Amino acid sequence: MALPRFEYLSPGTLDEACALLAEHGADARPMAGGTDLLLRMGRTGRAPSFVVGLRRVPGLADVRFDREHGLSIGALASLATVAAHPDVIRHYPALAQAAAATATVQIRNMGTVAGNLCNASPSADTAPPLLAHGAEVLLHRREGERRLSLSRFFRGPGRNALEPGELLREIHLPPPGERTGSDYQRISQRSQVDIAAASVAARVALDEEGICRSARLALGAVAPTPLLVDEAAALLEGRPITDEQVAAAAALAVRAARPISDVRASAAWRKKVIGVLAARALRAAVEKALAQ
Amino acid sequence: MSQNHRYVGRSLPRLDGPAKVTGRARYAGDLSLPGMLHGKLLRSPVPHARIVNIDVSRAAALPGVKAVITGRDTPGIKYGNWRLMPETQDETPLAIDKVRFIGDEVAAVAALDLDTAEEAVRLIRVEYEELPAVFDVAAALADGAPLVHDEGKLTSNVSLDRKIDYGDLDAAFAAADYVREDRFTLPPVSHAYLEPCACLAEADLEGRITIWTSTQTPYIVQCLLASTLGLRENDVRVVKPFVGGGFGGKMELRPWEFCAAFLARKTGRPVRFALTREEELATGRRRHPMRIRSKVAFRKDGTLLGKEFEVYLDGGAYNSMGPTATFLCGNFGAMLYRYPAYRYRGYHVYTNNPPAGAMRGFGAPQALFAAESQMNIAAAELGIDPIELRLKNAMVEGDEIPGVATVSSCGFVESLEQVAAMTGWKEKKGKLPPGQGIGVGCYSFISGGVFNWFNTQYEFAAVEVEAYDDGTLHLKTMASDIGQGCDTVLRQILAEETGVSIERIRLTAGDTGATPKADLGTWGSRVTLMAGNAVINAVRSIKDQLAGVIAARFDLNVIHEVAFADDRVFAKARPDRGLSFGEAVRMATRANRGRALVGRAGYTPRNKGLVTPAFSFGAQVAEVRVDVETGVVRVEKVTTAHDCGTVVNPMAVEGQLEGSIHMGLGYALCEELKMEGGRTLTSSLLDYKIAAAEDMPPSESICVPTFEAEGPFGAKEAGEGLASPTAPAIADAVHDATGFRAFDLPITPEKILRGMGRLDE
Repeated sequence: MALPRFEYLSPGTLDEACALLAEHGADARPMAGGTDLLLRMGRTGRAPSFVVGLRRVPGLADVRFDREHGLSIGALASLATVAAHPDVIRHYPALAQAAAATATVQIRNMGTVAGNLCNASPSADTAPPLLAHGAEVLLHRREGERRLSLSRFFRGPGRNALEPGELLREIHLPPPGERTGSDYQRISQRSQVDIAAASVAARVALDEEGICRSARLALGAVAPTPLLVDEAAALLEGRPITDEQVAAAAALAVRAARPISDVRASAAWRKKVIGVLAARALRAAVEKALAQ
Repeated sequence: MSQNHRYVGRSLPRLDGPAKVTGRARYAGDLSLPGMLHGKLLRSPVPHARIVNIDVSRAAALPGVKAVITGRDTPGIKYGNWRLMPETQDETPLAIDKVRFIGDEVAAVAALDLDTAEEAVRLIRVEYEELPAVFDVAAALADGAPLVHDEGKLTSNVSLDRKIDYGDLDAAFAAADYVREDRFTLPPVSHAYLEPCACLAEADLEGRITIWTSTQTPYIVQCLLASTLGLRENDVRVVKPFVGGGFGGKMELRPWEFCAAFLARKTGRPVRFALTREEELATGRRRHPMRIRSKVAFRKDGTLLGKEFEVYLDGGAYNSMGPTATFLCGNFGAMLYRYPAYRYRGYHVYTNNPPAGAMRGFGAPQALFAAESQMNIAAAELGIDPIELRLKNAMVEGDEIPGVATVSSCGFVESLEQVAAMTGWKEKKGKLPPGQGIGVGCYSFISGGVFNWFNTQYEFAAVEVEAYDDGTLHLKTMASDIGQGCDTVLRQILAEETGVSIERIRLTAGDTGATPKADLGTWGSRVTLMAGNAVINAVRSIKDQLAGVIAARFDLNVIHEVAFADDRVFAKARPDRGLSFGEAVRMATRANRGRALVGRAGYTPRNKGLVTPAFSFGAQVAEVRVDVETGVVRVEKVTTAHDCGTVVNPMAVEGQLEGSIHMGLGYALCEELKMEGGRTLTSSLLDYKIAAAEDMPPSESICVPTFEAEGPFGAKEAGEGLASPTAPAIADAVHDATGFRAFDLPITPEKILRGMGRLDE
């Protein structure tokens, strides 16, 4: 399918990019990997007048980690880079699992984690683990920068909190604590090259006695946006994570899910398996935490 | 399988393999010619409507557009593969007055580039008067249902029916200890071949057409393209380049082939069409969705007494290959076992869905899912092991299917015994822990059909072999390699038959202008048997002459046998008395006063009943692990024992088996063209779920040794039959693992959980 006509702008700095986006407003769209944007343009035959490519902006592809500040993922860091990054694999395993499970090799090489978030699909693989790890997004515009908790970034299917002239510059994750583990579980009809029909990320931190210091449970593809199950944290924190606790947290996940029926799965099945996945993700996260 | 064979029975790598894996093989969409135009089709967005008006003026005025055509510009001649029954020929290349499905071809554009052609298509304005539409068999058969085809003699949407009756079925049901009736529903699925359809057509100065097209059937395209263009057969040359799979989806004349040829004649420039994957999935041919009611009668000792089999095929908007599927479905409803009495009623029903057509198995995967599932149900209820129940009733060599066929070679019993032994069946069936299961499914298939629905006046397969005095052969055939490997297998057969090394055999295939008339094409698992026989028949006269040369040259007593081996022709009992193959050819040519040594012959099955000259058989066992919390199925192993006669190329047979398992796995678990109001919702490979490589189970297989007297070197089919057993075997294994018995496909995780009572609605 031929792409409709558009003008490609290639700014050299972040401020220049933001200026172009501010100038053209709704007529312009930023592009990182292009794996969602270009496909949609080809499919719908509709294009913004201006595509603002970010490739020439220096430093945006970096992934940086240190124990004090945590993990920073630049807007252009590819899914493949994040999936294979040793520090991500070690300290934020759920995110590495999710990035590796997204789409295909080719798309992971081109597509970015930031783009995956900005696209704001309820089934975005990287959203639940980033929510579970307490990610923040750094939103840049010429006038300055703001930080937003990721849970406040998603506004609905395909809708995010970016304002005109604003770019997601970086995703930031807090440092991993001691005895922390995370895990990502997804389900789809075939094992690869598929969109998740339901997904769960869990992160738990334990103390020396095995008491849960903190816990996060996040769901994908079962609500208009990726979802943090806040009640699960309250339920799990401050005591050991027993089988009963896991089952109760899974029940909370089921209650929080508001899935739809679509061509991929029915609401009833999604609601059923989200509980199963939540329990599995929690148990795996506890195991990883204990193994540290 | 004789150990004396040099080529037959050898796992020879495919001769087209290197070209394909290095990207040098060129497919129809890769071809281009100077001055070539790009074609694009406009398709109907509505399922059923009268065309009130088409305005192409804006499209025609777009710079770069060279021609725009609608049905009104064409001769409007109807076509279809069933030439024997002209009333079944119900399609025109472009819609004339009416569209009948979403995707029906309405107009075509030829332009300087594809972008312009696509833009021009968007500028065509069609005024439709929408008509009531029907989207399933029940609606299509309801009183007062709108007729999808109201222009002919039909008074209902049943376009064709088929009856088979033998034995006294009423008496069988009356005498039975156990009668079981079930209903099965099969979904539409896609061939999902790797190469979407494409073609390139060129008209010469006298208006004659050459078309390079992705087809399984060059001869059928030649005949039907000629008739729809108002040309003569000899005015059309069809060339099959490399083809990236067909599976039955490329065995008819298709509108883009007509439009490319028509536009090439109109513009005087070559025209290429290439379909998108979305066009293929959303509007392309598909395997028939079916509703099957099967009622079967047994004695309590497991003896089969009879069966009633009633099938409704949702044919979509046109007949396509539906009549054949309707016939074969009836045959496969009562294959594999001895049914003393059988009643089949098959109804091919028009709806406003995209037309279904031929797809690997051609009615068998649906019929055998029902029949084999029902065997497994009956075995459980009769308290007999499912493989024992099959052995008790299994067809054997010499069995007669009344009025239909006689079974020649048959390795079904051996297949069942072998697959049981290979899998440890007795130790596992019904004894595995919860969540694990084992199941069985079987198949039989035809090695080509004998029924001449295309009404060809030529032999079903034809071959010409020319011998050169440099010791080489040129094999010419219209038989079409679409990826299944017949270019290799036919050369193996010729090499075996003549003793000429395979590297010394040049092949020209699939070109109606350069190969002998005719070959009906690649479908119905017919090529190895039919074209293989034609190879042997064609070379016979050459061999006779060469034997004469050796006899004369060495003054052989007439009782000597002349052998052909190792590129030599010699007295078998006195190998020193012989010549190289090339020397012998030279002497024969001299003896003929310069006439080239050419052999030409064909093969047509005669007096072989109504179905096929030879049936294949096989049994397959699937072992699965079901995640009982989510319903997700993992197929852990597939084991197959099958009878394809003499195995000409074991590696090629294994390739067919693995490809069949992949398609059968998808049919069983995840593939479905989901429909809503005639619209195909799963129009990308993201939403249409063919199994990924990681989903493929390990496969173990053996071919049981049989010899088919009608086949070349004893060979039978191995291409399509294997598409059938996997789905019933997996369904049976899922039942073993969970207690849930599937009556409709695909067996999604959701259906399993619901069937286990684990899903809150």
